Amino acid sequence: MTVKKNKEEITVEGNACNRGKDFAILEMTDPKRSLTSTVKTAFKDCPVLPVRTDYDLPKDLIGKAMEEINKIVVTKKVKMHDIIISDILATGCNIIASCDLSNSLKEGDNNE
Amino acid sequence: MKALFFMKAGKGFSMHQDMKTYDVTVIGAGPAGLGAAKSAYENGAKTLLIEREARLGGILKQCIHDGFGLLIFKEKLTGPEYAQKYIDMIKETSIDISLLTYVTDVKKNQDGFYHITMITQKGIKHILSKTIILATGCRERTAKQIFIHGTRPSGVFTAGTAQYYTNILGHMPTKKCVILGSGDIGMIMARRLTLEGAQVEGVYEVKSELGGLMRNYSQCLVDYNIPLHTNKTVTKVFGEKRLTAVEISSVNDDMSVIEGTQKIVDCDALILSVGLIPENELAEKLEVPIDEFTKGPIADQCNQTLKDGIFICGNAHHVNDLVDYVSKAGITAGKCAANYVNKERKLVKLQKSDLLSYCVPQYIDKLSEQKNVDVYFRSKARIKDVRISVTADNRVIATKKLVEIRPAEIETIQLDLSKAGNDILDIFLSCEKV
Amino acid sequence: MSLIRRLNKKLNKMFNGSVHAQEENGCVKLTGSLDCWEDIVKAGYTAVNKNKFIGVLNDIEYTKQDIPQMRMPSVNDLKYDKIHTDVAVIGAGIIGSAIARELTRYDIKVMLIDKEHDVGMHASSRNDGEIHPGIDLLKGQVKQKYNSRGNVMYDQICKDLDVRFSRPGQYLCFNKKYYKLIFSIARLYWKAMGIPTEYMNADKLRKKIPGISNAINGGIYFPTAGIVSPYELVIAYAENAVDNSAVIALDTAVTGMEISNNKIVSLKTNRGIIYPKVVINAAGVYSDKIASMANDRFFTIHARKGTNAIFDKKIVKNNNFIVSVYGMSSVKTTHSKGGGILTTADGNLLIGPDAFETFDREDFSTEDKNINAILEKHRTTIPGIKKSDVIAYYSGIRAATYEEDFVISKGRRTKNIIHAAGIQSPGLTAAPAIALDIAEMTKDILSEDMEIKENKDFNPVRKAILDIKNMNEDEKNILIEQNPDFGTVICRCEEITLGQIKQAINRSVPCDTVDGVKRRVRAGMGRCQGGFCGPLVLQTIAKEKNIALKEVTKKDNESLILYESRKGV
Repeated sequence: MTVKKNKEEITVEGNACNRGKDFAILEMTDPKRSLTSTVKTAFKDCPVLPVRTDYDLPKDLIGKAMEEINKIVVTKKVKMHDIIISDILATGCNIIASCDLSNSLKEGDNNE
Repeated sequence: MKALFFMKAGKGFSMHQDMKTYDVTVIGAGPAGLGAAKSAYENGAKTLLIEREARLGGILKQCIHDGFGLLIFKEKLTGPEYAQKYIDMIKETSIDISLLTYVTDVKKNQDGFYHITMITQKGIKHILSKTIILATGCRERTAKQIFIHGTRPSGVFTAGTAQYYTNILGHMPTKKCVILGSGDIGMIMARRLTLEGAQVEGVYEVKSELGGLMRNYSQCLVDYNIPLHTNKTVTKVFGEKRLTAVEISSVNDDMSVIEGTQKIVDCDALILSVGLIPENELAEKLEVPIDEFTKGPIADQCNQTLKDGIFICGNAHHVNDLVDYVSKAGITAGKCAANYVNKERKLVKLQKSDLLSYCVPQYIDKLSEQKNVDVYFRSKARIKDVRISVTADNRVIATKKLVEIRPAEIETIQLDLSKAGNDILDIFLSCEKV
Repeated sequence: MSLIRRLNKKLNKMFNGSVHAQEENGCVKLTGSLDCWEDIVKAGYTAVNKNKFIGVLNDIEYTKQDIPQMRMPSVNDLKYDKIHTDVAVIGAGIIGSAIARELTRYDIKVMLIDKEHDVGMHASSRNDGEIHPGIDLLKGQVKQKYNSRGNVMYDQICKDLDVRFSRPGQYLCFNKKYYKLIFSIARLYWKAMGIPTEYMNADKLRKKIPGISNAINGGIYFPTAGIVSPYELVIAYAENAVDNSAVIALDTAVTGMEISNNKIVSLKTNRGIIYPKVVINAAGVYSDKIASMANDRFFTIHARKGTNAIFDKKIVKNNNFIVSVYGMSSVKTTHSKGGGILTTADGNLLIGPDAFETFDREDFSTEDKNINAILEKHRTTIPGIKKSDVIAYYSGIRAATYEEDFVISKGRRTKNIIHAAGIQSPGLTAAPAIALDIAEMTKDILSEDMEIKENKDFNPVRKAILDIKNMNEDEKNILIEQNPDFGTVICRCEEITLGQIKQAINRSVPCDTVDGVKRRVRAGMGRCQGGFCGPLVLQTIAKEKNIALKEVTKKDNESLILYESRKGV
């Protein structure tokens, strides 16, 4: 797939489907990326909890988003998809938990 | 809530009349095992799922990146989410689960049942099972297996181990590293470590081609300005205590080192992503025939190995790129194990084009009711514009065109064996340039 | 012409006047400078004359590059400052540890000192573990005497110390038919030396050693050859010594000595000044430096490096053998035996070692060319061995003197030092016997000034870390019921449990590193080489020692593994 930009006009060629064209245009004008990382928790048996963005962030905000993520300490036994950071960097995206925190906690026995 | 399986150990090997008996025992609760156990249960089997760790999910627990589930769930999930979905489904079933359980022995008894011995925190357990599904995953190729020389400092990690430290223990294995191997795990870790503040000096690949998925190259290396150097390898490691540098050498296409091209790169870690090897110690104990190339057991379209009643799925069978394919294989293995009847098989070898390095399944059981077959294969080299076909007795039963095929990206083609007629003599997977 | 003059004439011819010999205190001393290390070694060999000189002092300067200094521990404190001990054993390898253990039979204060973070970190953990029958040892050699005495002691020692030992015997094969005649004569010699032998024809050999080359025509079987895990034995000896009240001082390097009236008054170390009555020099590659510090040097160590390769267990399948082939080239060109193939105590196949002189006495690095060379060489014995089956490889350094023999004697000038120096192969075999003699010599010297009583509490028996894998089911169940950690498998390649790993960390010889745990319970020695269990062992060490994850090291105080993340976990 080739993408050309001529002043304000963007042409896309060779895309296998229309979504490819939309993606290509977006990549040139407003590239976005999903971000996955971990956040620190207050639970000894689960030092970090995996998190993700629920929608893609602008690519150039990834670094700042990481800084925000690194400030967090989760103190509650959150469940998958619970919001950890709401509306991060005013993008409208949330940082959400990728799994239940209780998965990592040591259980009394193997039940559950 | 399903009850945890618990058994009192008997005295001596012969007195286990009170052993619990299962239709299907799945060994390993990563994506393959989770999928296989769910499928076996849904097909009516009394199922036991064994896992040596304290939690279900296998390697998915540390794969915090996304890209999982595009095919199965039509969503772009992270590893833990993918695992959580299966864990939540399994919790609704009455599948027996045994965590922190390690299988030490499997033997077939005279009644044709598999006697499984396990070590758990509550003692040695014994169970009988009509069938076994091996979902034991794979291990990483080590520094010694690729003959890295020099000193023995700390700071040499395989990518999966580095990933565990970063994503499970929340600690960094490095501040500045060199990654050897452009496999997926290496590229994923290049991005991960960079996001966590480490410097990845570069990714070095011994072959002339990228070792993993193109999407990882773009989203992990290109996005983060991490250079990829091909035809290069690490020949030596420096540092008495902690790694201080590595020696990079250029190599020919046959991977032989070119003298005089040595370059020293300062770093505190060498991270290796140089290949995965199916973990098959149990299969070997059972003398299950292993495919020389894949290093996993040879199997038919039901994911049954050449040893009756032993099934295989996931990375223990062959190294997969997409967890979705692993889950699909688990579904097949679970279904076929649940429906297993000890009867004759008529196996015909699925021959393949010389342009392909391997294909699974290696055999088709003509007598099986499993007519829908997912064939997975890899090419030996990068080829553009190919037609993949499966012909049974000279009749084409499946065909597709691919714009490009490369060794690092597994491909698949679906067959409907009912198109082939009743008695296949010959079945061939072809790959032709168009 | 005097001996020295003749020697100088020879050396002048060889090295164009760059090397000069003179007599000093009964030894021959070489001075001068050369830029080729092999030449320095050659000069040393040339100067040897066992009848006329006590030993060679090879002080020729190496001009090509700087010889690395002795690696020092990072610790600097006063933990052992002002300690008075009856005996200080310098070096906790197999020799020093065995000596310390024998000394604890007496009611005396014994201190076992080593500059490394664990015992046996040099040659003692890096050899192939063979207990030699003494095939190529000659009467009159010190090493022959101790090898033959030590060999027969192994069954009892390993029983007492709960260390695995087997005597599969060694097959010395030949691939030329006329060797059969040569060997039948050699068998008479061996018989005279007390070494039993048996002739094996090719068919018998093929049954005993699966995959042996068709070119082998026959061989001699030496039933007294055995196999032990060398680091298992060093650790066992050291633990038994400490259990019997020896003090172990690790990370402690002796850097100088205070001498007065031909007696060592004190040892200067990075952890304080120690005051011993008697000093045992078991310092391996640095035993000549220790001798110098004691004003009692009459030998020189020249380091000789060897590399071994270890193969996956699956190619051994339950066989147990030691095999070497006579007539392999390196037997003639170096003073090393030429290596062979054996099955280790853990069931892996091992090949090697080779032999190369080196000026770096602690160069444990490996190189591909050595691996390829030993593979090629030993394929003539077992053609089927494949490089792709190699799972590990490592190097070791032999502490060889120019006389190529052990130095087991009281000091010559300094009254309270005893040397157990210049130990190379068959050092492991000889160790139990050397330890007995050194203990006697120590008693002699000590009893000049004090009464030596038996240690009534001496217990020769040491219990090993539990071997779960080989227990029967009832034993396993009882154990797991008492402690569920023995039912938690951590190293899945070798089936090692959490209970065993915790035991390793809590024994009488301190162990707080990932490699230390590996040497004690094998976690990390299997196919995945610690890929899965490494992080779990690291976490266990942190928990048991109550330290942060980032403080756990691979092998010593400085080989840190992890850093804290920016998140501040």
